[in-house]
Amino acid sequence: MDLDVHLAAIVGGDPRAFGSWMSGAEPRVRDSLRSFAQVIDVEAVLQETLLRTWQVAPRFVADGRPNGLVRMAIRIGRNLAVSEVRRTKATPTEGDDLETALAAGDRPASVPDPMLRKAIAECRDKLPARPRQALDARLASAGGQDDDDLATGLHMKLNTFLQNFTRARQLIADCLHKRGVTVDLELGA
Amino acid sequence: MTGDDDDNHDSPGDGGPRGPRGPGGPGGPGGDDELLIEQVASAYRPVPRDELRYHPRWHDLSAAGRERAFARAGALRALEAALDPDGLSTTARAVLARITGQR
Repeated sequence: MDLDVHLAAIVGGDPRAFGSWMSGAEPRVRDSLRSFAQVIDVEAVLQETLLRTWQVAPRFVADGRPNGLVRMAIRIGRNLAVSEVRRTKATPTEGDDLETALAAGDRPASVPDPMLRKAIAECRDKLPARPRQALDARLASAGGQDDDDLATGLHMKLNTFLQNFTRARQLIADCLHKRGVTVDLELGA
Repeated sequence: MTGDDDDNHDSPGDGGPRGPRGPGGPGGPGGDDELLIEQVASAYRPVPRDELRYHPRWHDLSAAGRERAFARAGALRALEAALDPDGLSTTARAVLARITGQR
């Protein structure tokens, strides 16, 4: 799928269209920053990258190839990451290959598998109460609250909240594994 | 799926994110504190002002812990997107909140 199908609506200022674009673009932009993971906070850089992509999208000029906005976001992210390395005086990373990262942007975006989504939702629905509460709190906060606040809202200590969240993640991974779904090792770690 | 709710695991000196490190802590055999990685792998980040603001606990992680937090974040975002009606991760939701002025 060419994520540039959302471009006209994004340029028109439609946040929902940008959300649709992000659902396909986010993993690739995140992966393009992998080589910086030891020296900068990639999640912070990624969120700022996506915000800046939204801000400059109206000035984006397509080159005729698919997923042009993804490639632009990868460039924005890399430039921001390099700036962060300089600002924080971190040791520069090796193996940071922009061309390889941009090539990832050329790949067609995968369409979410509805059967996988269904399986994950069913596994989530089987969670015990407290792990489910911790998972749901993270999802509902959408990155807007830190874990201390989420724990307080659930009348848990921070450790308890984190242990319940870990348990939720691991139980979902186990459940998916039993269904024959290959899961990211880090999900079940 | 079965299992007891993890509801009462806080015990004095049990080595939480700020506590003494047991297995899995920086001083323990597992390397980094798993709960610290769990925190940093979330999409929560303070809203930037003049410059980017990192997760407050990111600096507490070793290089290996930062790598794991990165990998964990990617796995969690995929899970979150699968559970979201619009297919959005909490990272995407956080960005949309900033775009629409909700944050």
